[in-house]
Amino acid sequence: MKFRTFAAFVAPSVVMMLLFIAFPLVSVLVQSFFVTQPVYDTVEVETCTPGFLGQICTTEEKSVPRRDENGRIVEVTRFVGLESYRNVIEPDRFWAAVKAHSWAAVQAIDFWKALRFTLMFTLVTLPLVVGLGLAIALAINNAAQAVRGPVIFVSLLPFIITPVIGALSINWLFRGDGILTAALEWWLQRDIAMFAQAWTIETLMVLYRVWHVAPFAAIVFYAGLQTVNQDSLESALIDGASRWQRLRFIVIPHLMPLIVFVAIIHLMDTYRVFEEIVGFSSQGHVISLQWLTYDYLKPDQAGNRSISRASASAMLTMIGIVIILIPLLRRTWRDHRRARA
Amino acid sequence: MLFRKILVAGAMSLVATGAWASCAFENKVPLKSLSAAFEAWKAVTSAMAECGNFTAELDQEFREKQPAAFAANPALYQIGGVANSTMVPLLNAGTIRPLDEYVAKYGQQLKPNQLIKVDGKTYAIAMMVNNQHLMYRSDILEDLGIPVPKTWDDVLAAAEKIKAAGVVDYPLGGTFKTGWNLGEEFVNNYLGEGGEFFGPGNSPAINNEKGVRALEIMKAMTAYMDPEYLVSDSTYVQQQFQQGKIAMANLWASRAAAMDDPAESQVVGKVKMASAPMGSVRPASSLWWDGVVFATNMTEEQADAAFRVAMEGLDREMVEANNDVAVWLIEGYKPGPAAEGAIATANNGAVPYPASGPMGIMHTALGNGIADYLKGAKDASTTLADIEAAYLAAAREAGLVE
Amino acid sequence: MTARALRQPLSLRLASGGFLGLWCLIAAFPIFWITVMSLKAPIDAFSPNPLHVIFGPETVARGQGWSILDMLLGAGVLYATARIAMHWLPLAVRTWTPPGFAALGWLLGSAVLGVGFVVAFFGVLPAVTEVLNPLAGPLGRDVVGATTEHYRTVWIDRGFANNFKNSLIVTTGVVTVSLTVGTLAGYALARAGTALAFWILIAALVFRALPHSVLVAGYLPVFINSAEWLSPILGENAPTLYGKPWAVIAVLVAINQPFTIWMLRSFFQNIPADLDEAARVDGCSHFEAFRRVIMPVMWPGVITTGLFSFLLAYNDFLVTSLLLDASNQTMVPAIAGMFNRETTTTDQVVAVAAAVSITAPLFLLVMVFQRQIVAGLTAGAVKG
Repeated sequence: MKFRTFAAFVAPSVVMMLLFIAFPLVSVLVQSFFVTQPVYDTVEVETCTPGFLGQICTTEEKSVPRRDENGRIVEVTRFVGLESYRNVIEPDRFWAAVKAHSWAAVQAIDFWKALRFTLMFTLVTLPLVVGLGLAIALAINNAAQAVRGPVIFVSLLPFIITPVIGALSINWLFRGDGILTAALEWWLQRDIAMFAQAWTIETLMVLYRVWHVAPFAAIVFYAGLQTVNQDSLESALIDGASRWQRLRFIVIPHLMPLIVFVAIIHLMDTYRVFEEIVGFSSQGHVISLQWLTYDYLKPDQAGNRSISRASASAMLTMIGIVIILIPLLRRTWRDHRRARA
Repeated sequence: MLFRKILVAGAMSLVATGAWASCAFENKVPLKSLSAAFEAWKAVTSAMAECGNFTAELDQEFREKQPAAFAANPALYQIGGVANSTMVPLLNAGTIRPLDEYVAKYGQQLKPNQLIKVDGKTYAIAMMVNNQHLMYRSDILEDLGIPVPKTWDDVLAAAEKIKAAGVVDYPLGGTFKTGWNLGEEFVNNYLGEGGEFFGPGNSPAINNEKGVRALEIMKAMTAYMDPEYLVSDSTYVQQQFQQGKIAMANLWASRAAAMDDPAESQVVGKVKMASAPMGSVRPASSLWWDGVVFATNMTEEQADAAFRVAMEGLDREMVEANNDVAVWLIEGYKPGPAAEGAIATANNGAVPYPASGPMGIMHTALGNGIADYLKGAKDASTTLADIEAAYLAAAREAGLVE
Repeated sequence: MTARALRQPLSLRLASGGFLGLWCLIAAFPIFWITVMSLKAPIDAFSPNPLHVIFGPETVARGQGWSILDMLLGAGVLYATARIAMHWLPLAVRTWTPPGFAALGWLLGSAVLGVGFVVAFFGVLPAVTEVLNPLAGPLGRDVVGATTEHYRTVWIDRGFANNFKNSLIVTTGVVTVSLTVGTLAGYALARAGTALAFWILIAALVFRALPHSVLVAGYLPVFINSAEWLSPILGENAPTLYGKPWAVIAVLVAINQPFTIWMLRSFFQNIPADLDEAARVDGCSHFEAFRRVIMPVMWPGVITTGLFSFLLAYNDFLVTSLLLDASNQTMVPAIAGMFNRETTTTDQVVAVAAAVSITAPLFLLVMVFQRQIVAGLTAGAVKG
């Protein structure tokens, strides 16, 4: 394919990505090395606000941003190097905690607390999703032709449901005396509060994510099962291979590229775990890296936001994902070279 | 609430026939407003809409959109709905205009109390106040012979008695959801102890005896609360009340009316209102107001029309049709039993929420940091020190602290 | 495969079937449960007793409920819908649509089916049962509390119909643009083995890794002020991007591009390159070869990829909630708003009804496209 043809084909896609992703990405990168702040003057201000019947007036020293002749706030931007990264990671506190051999002290630092949960969440859900997805795919493949359609339909429900709604339904089912908590209480004959301690919330999050993503894995694997080479299965049978051996040595290797595909997508998405934190309102117990970014970014009521730390934290999240992706990148490179050869 | 819905529905149908409170003038200038989305704003903006050419946007992301939308030239919205804290960024950026000339021209019916003044100039027109105050199950307290609690010690003693008697699952409710809600609980209690949040140069000043005492009160409450308190927001506490699961809570005045809604509540007529419990100095509560502001970046013609339309939304008829939706500041409001707690709290000397730029950061730091103390992971003064450190990091980045 | 290979011990088949049954139960339960909740009065819906939630005594007491007859007829309508979606619709589409317009046929068919279902279930059915119930004796007495008033509140009083329309605009836009742009790029990337192609793919992967909240917060001020900074280029007509559905469509398409081009690239890789090479030898340009040879065989992969685009656009919260104003708001931020503001218990049940309303079109979509998804994936849209 000539370069000009190639360029014409990919241009619309590339331009859109450049405009809406690459450009903001560069600005995030730049922002993480700079700090922009208004110039504040300290002035005495009298503010009068309503009580119920009379007015309450207070006179206080307040920091008021300076404005230029056009009425815009005067801002200064200065280069701070890696300071924002340091403010996110807090290396001094981290090393002090490590030297004191105090896990609790490490977990008192937001970034490390978030990293701990994010990694745990990513690594625990991965095998569960792949395993459950495979099991469902095999079970569907094993079912009578007539029920496959409806079963696939029902299986896909958790995957298609709007994440916000999914998390909310879990809330309704488990929060307070939600119906499933009530069922658990009745079964175990004891009082249970699912949202009162970290480990139950984390378990719920893991279960929710597996419930939500396993159908995607299952449907991909099921599609893969339709193309298993029947000849090799048959010859294995003639060689007297057991059911387990056939699964282990013919079906799984056939599905391997799909397993890698599902694993990669899953790793990328779970490393950015965010909806669960908000949906389960778990900030008091566990937080994730993307939630931390969001928290820096979200303006408080007075409109302050920590853009520089948010940018640094976003870059750190991206670096984490790229590290996770290295195996895939190497594989793609090999494929690519082969395609060219 | 059903009653209220019927009222509103009735009012709407009357509007359709043009027999009720139609606007005093016909608005020719296209206007838009951006505000929060709770019930009171719905009432006010639909009253404004009667003047014609007016679209209201009730948006839960208003806090994030307002500063940018008002800074655009021309502003995307002419009228904004704010509370004491959300006015700060608009005021700082100079994107809302002084209103004194319009008040003189069209604001005869406004009470002096409604004019929000900064350095003598009016920048906003308040329409309602809100605060947290004690709600209690009068039937339970009477059965057990407990007088209405006045201080936190009373509340805790009453909770102990109720727990011992085993009348409800949890004697206390509280809006302790991590984040803004939890921060607000601390602010209330710290103000109740007479604390100041900042020293000179916006330096944090909460790590003191008063701060520790505020934390201790909160921790003492949690012993009587649903163990899932870190996820319970005001809707949840309201629901706990309605389902008869709790007996007392320091809850928002705007929630009071829901206790007597037969469609939802199983405890109609049993929940009474009282002043917020007293801390060492004043009630553990803070006064909030909601009101309207007007963009700087619009034409004089628009500004004139916008102010007139807003006045139509904040008039007597609107209040009479929506009396129990909020604790209104507007002429014509008749405080019902649901408002007793809010008024008693104000009369006992509760102070306004100390809204400011640094306070926004402090509130966030408090909301994120207190959970560790309540869970027992840190002691009180370490918690407060960590919160101060978090505040300093954010305030330095914002340029508020050297 | 031989019959012997297919034969499985009974225990294995039971275990496999049992597992599948259990999974289906777990998969469907939350959705089933919120559907039940949405039909009840607030007191029943949030009752800690599951039987109260299912049978809704309080709701019956208010004279709102279903008799056995109602439920039988209702189940009949549901079954008929499922049947039509899964069997007749594919048949009808295949028979009636001219080749090349399959996607359009599917869309039209699903839309007709959706509207037909709403009319039958909410319009015709209540009218019929109202006449029949008094005649049916004990079968016609209300046994299960159920009310559709929350749905009425959502769709009529809260103007959810408008949100639905906006969702439709945004999703249609995203799917169309995303697929058009994505197929071209995916095809070129599959056929070109250059280092540039490789780096584009890698960059796309990295882009996919960027946390969305950062992107979106960056857009907001730029979008709001666009009239100002675009005016040197576009003059007086410079638009404010904030609040415009097409601006949001562009953002969502861009965010979705990495996944789309990866999916489609692997799909095109499985279409033998000889096919288009042959066409090229016959004197076609690359684009002609693409149009004549590739387009006819690419539909399974495109439909599957399109479904993923659809899900992304339909389910998006971050982008739509920040960049659209209230009058152009889509369904997901609208419902999140119902929860975030000061809500009463009634509001919550209304929100549950809204949640079910959001899920219903997805339901129908998967019912209709379920075979195509599997076919598309089998045809190799995912090869890693």
